Amino acid sequence: MGFIHLHVHSQYSFLDGASSLDELLDKAVSLRMPALALTDHNRLTGVIRFYGKARAAGIKPIIGAELDLASGYHLTLLCKNADGYSNLCQLITQAHLSNLDRKPEATREMLRNHSNGLIALSGCSKGEIPTFVAEGKYDKAREAACFYRDVFGKDFFIELIRYPSREGGSDSYRLASFAKEDNLPVVATNNVHYAEIKEYRIKELLNAIDRIIPASQLEGYRTVEQYLKSQQEMMKLFRDLPEAIKNTGEIASRCNLEMDLGKPRFPKFDIPEGESDYSYLRKIAFVGAGRKYGLLSASIKSRLEHELDTINKLGFCSYFLVVWDIVRWAKSRDIRCQARGSAVDSLVVYALDISNVDPVEYNLLFERFMHPLRYEPPDIDLDVDRRRRDEVRDYIYQKYGAENVACVGTINTYMARGAIRDIGKALQIPKSIIEEACQGIHWLSASELMEYADTLPELKHSTVYKKEELADFFKLCTAIDGFPKHLSVHLGGLLIGNGKLSDLVPLEWSGGGDIISQYDKDDIERLGIVKLDLLSLPTLTVIEDTLSNIKQSRRIDIDIEKTPRNDPSAFGILRDGKTIGTFQLESPAQREMAGRLLPDRFEDIIVSISLVRPGPLKSNMDKDYLPRRHGQQPVKYLHPKLNNALDETLGVILYQEQVLKVAHDLAGMSYAEADGFRRAMTHERTEEEMEGMRDSFISRAVGDGIGKNIAEKVFEQLAAFAAYGFCKGHACAYAITAYQTLWLKSHYPAEFLAAVLSNQPMGYYPSRVLVAEAKRFGVEVLPPDINKSSEQYTVEKGAIRVSLKQLKGMSEKALESILSARAEHKFTSLRDFVLRTDVSQPILENLVKVGAFDSLDNQHDLLLQLPKLSELKHKIIKDNQGYSITLRRCCTQSRYSYGFPYL
Amino acid sequence: MSRLIDEPVKVHQNNDSMITAFIWRKRLYRVLDVVGWWREPSEWWNGKSMRLFIRVNAQNSGTGTYELYKLGVQWFLSRVLD
Repeated sequence: MGFIHLHVHSQYSFLDGASSLDELLDKAVSLRMPALALTDHNRLTGVIRFYGKARAAGIKPIIGAELDLASGYHLTLLCKNADGYSNLCQLITQAHLSNLDRKPEATREMLRNHSNGLIALSGCSKGEIPTFVAEGKYDKAREAACFYRDVFGKDFFIELIRYPSREGGSDSYRLASFAKEDNLPVVATNNVHYAEIKEYRIKELLNAIDRIIPASQLEGYRTVEQYLKSQQEMMKLFRDLPEAIKNTGEIASRCNLEMDLGKPRFPKFDIPEGESDYSYLRKIAFVGAGRKYGLLSASIKSRLEHELDTINKLGFCSYFLVVWDIVRWAKSRDIRCQARGSAVDSLVVYALDISNVDPVEYNLLFERFMHPLRYEPPDIDLDVDRRRRDEVRDYIYQKYGAENVACVGTINTYMARGAIRDIGKALQIPKSIIEEACQGIHWLSASELMEYADTLPELKHSTVYKKEELADFFKLCTAIDGFPKHLSVHLGGLLIGNGKLSDLVPLEWSGGGDIISQYDKDDIERLGIVKLDLLSLPTLTVIEDTLSNIKQSRRIDIDIEKTPRNDPSAFGILRDGKTIGTFQLESPAQREMAGRLLPDRFEDIIVSISLVRPGPLKSNMDKDYLPRRHGQQPVKYLHPKLNNALDETLGVILYQEQVLKVAHDLAGMSYAEADGFRRAMTHERTEEEMEGMRDSFISRAVGDGIGKNIAEKVFEQLAAFAAYGFCKGHACAYAITAYQTLWLKSHYPAEFLAAVLSNQPMGYYPSRVLVAEAKRFGVEVLPPDINKSSEQYTVEKGAIRVSLKQLKGMSEKALESILSARAEHKFTSLRDFVLRTDVSQPILENLVKVGAFDSLDNQHDLLLQLPKLSELKHKIIKDNQGYSITLRRCCTQSRYSYGFPYL
Repeated sequence: MSRLIDEPVKVHQNNDSMITAFIWRKRLYRVLDVVGWWREPSEWWNGKSMRLFIRVNAQNSGTGTYELYKLGVQWFLSRVLD
């Protein structure tokens, strides 16, 4: 082995590395490098994909990181083996989590505790020893060297970096002499920050963005030399020190980390003694199915056995038990919690009460969710009542231990707007230009920006994109397109380890104070760790609030899960387009579809949810389906064998599950194979791959006795559909929730709309539209009343009472003060209100103006009283200065002692 | 010690693109050897390019050390070292 790069930063050294993993690896391949290290700053975010990509490119991946130490110095660490990887994860985690300032800092003690399996290089010019040597503090350098040699033994090297410069790299020569005197091994690196020399500009630009300064004010040492140099270039630089080159090979040969990717690492679920994960899962699944179906038919038994067998063979039993336990716990505390997505296709999921969709009734296919040929951890997404999601999250932390649970991190990357704003600031582009360039591009990537500048209606009239003097600026924006900027919390994602998470996953703080993984959801999946999506669904909160409103106003307990799914009044409001506030069915497009579809059965809602999306509408699926639905066109099948798959949608392919059935029935594929076929068609593929799939499908269909013409036509239909298909299981889960909201709105509009109004913002429409909708349903909307309004909208004799929270400027503190004072006894006058609450003058004024006191006095008179009351309030506060008693308590004590006239 | 010059010079290169001589203020300087080279980052935000510097020992009436750099296709004498 010649020279190996052991100190390399990628774009995952957020705002410091200027090249992607692909660019670095492509360059390494072109330079015939046998191995390459990745050592990003304080994080391993890129290593899982680096490991896979490097292996695929025939390059040995060396995993490491450049760590910030508590002393402010840097240290380069490389993993020799799995122990080293685990120690590096723990070091990085501890460095991040132990520092309240949220700047990672590893202490010497941490290094001492987690040195096993790691190789340490003394670091760049910011390393401890290089700094001391450069400053001429040789005693301190020697003390530091002693420490590192003591901790890392023969796995500690002095890192030499040589950038040709006017000064001639004297620091590196001094460091080499120091190493020789102290008998320390040396190693050459180039502290790579970009693949090609020209990218130094991008690195400097990112540094300027990171420090929030103009690029022209970049301080400190600047260089263009941090590119991925060839072995020859590096050998030339170190021709006087061949051992520094040789040691790169020696270190690379010591680094032999094998990452065990794809192996499931599910948390251990506590099962009763004498049971295995499988036997226990089987037991509760059969008990659950018995509860749902009564006596189990042979077909249900056989389906359950088949699903359980697959789950067991794939080793996912404990995962199902974990999810079952979470949902069971939530439901035991009346927290609405249910599965969405393809998991709903599973009978086991239904039997375990994780989902409320019966896959047998709705003809759902388990293989769309999982099968033996799809070796990926299963993904059960749970919708949870928005208000109570944190309770479920807390339970998971408590049940599996805080050390074993974390939020999934997500990598925020540059889009066009962010790039324009940040680069604009760094290059001191006038604000007005930046603002103009940022208009109407919130969904564009920077590389699409110039492509669409001439065609997109929002951009066509803008002149900034055509200005020649800004061409370089926009080129730079394109250059950082997709660059990672920072990590944040993935919406709803939680990961649960089968032991201490930081042994396997580096963790850090999110901006909001959550502990998050440095890996994103895809890498977590590659690692085989359980990821659970706990998604806040406000509609579930609305359902809960509606039921509570009904109970309060009418003293009726309703079990919404047991409402019949064929209620004429629910379908009535759906057909009339009176669906504002309902789940999934309120958008203008859905209401328009309802007018054309004229739904009168539950399956119509599933169809409607699946049809009203850009893809199906653009490809005119509705125009195929609707005439058949209304009997205006005959239902035709290209072949009788398609009847079974397409019967439910009158010969039109609407659902992904139908693709599996068609491939199974027509081309004789197993459902597992058919799902592979569906996935291959859905993902990006080359023309050759598509041709391969076509040939395979047609030849298998012809082999099964289907005419070639028909097979070709069916394949064309499947190919056209592939991009737009919807998972029927997911549509069913949403249809049930949608139906429940329809049912509630049609029977209890006041209670339902009060709940929707209380949970704003959500859905498509603002409060004023919802209020208008209430009036359309004959529900009166009452103004806020100081003695009647609550924190939320409430129902009073069939009318909706506006909540106090809606008042402009209302604070939580003021609201709490009002409600607690009112709990003692109702307010009798404005004066009584002022004396018993801590409410600011503007809030008080607003309350009077919106008529909250109208039931007590005339609004005009009340407004006249306000200044005097204000005086009273100030006097009380002044008199009680220095005492930590609340105004309310003070007023209660002295309300009559000030001699103010009783108002 | 060095004197900052920053004046354009005409450079002679051999077939291997090695500088063999340069003309400064109408006088020929024959390059004896190349002492070193390096690249310096530019004010790229002002549209300027990176500069390649070369330090040579050259002979005219006497022998001296000179720093040259290339900007686009033009070479400049950056400074003269004592």
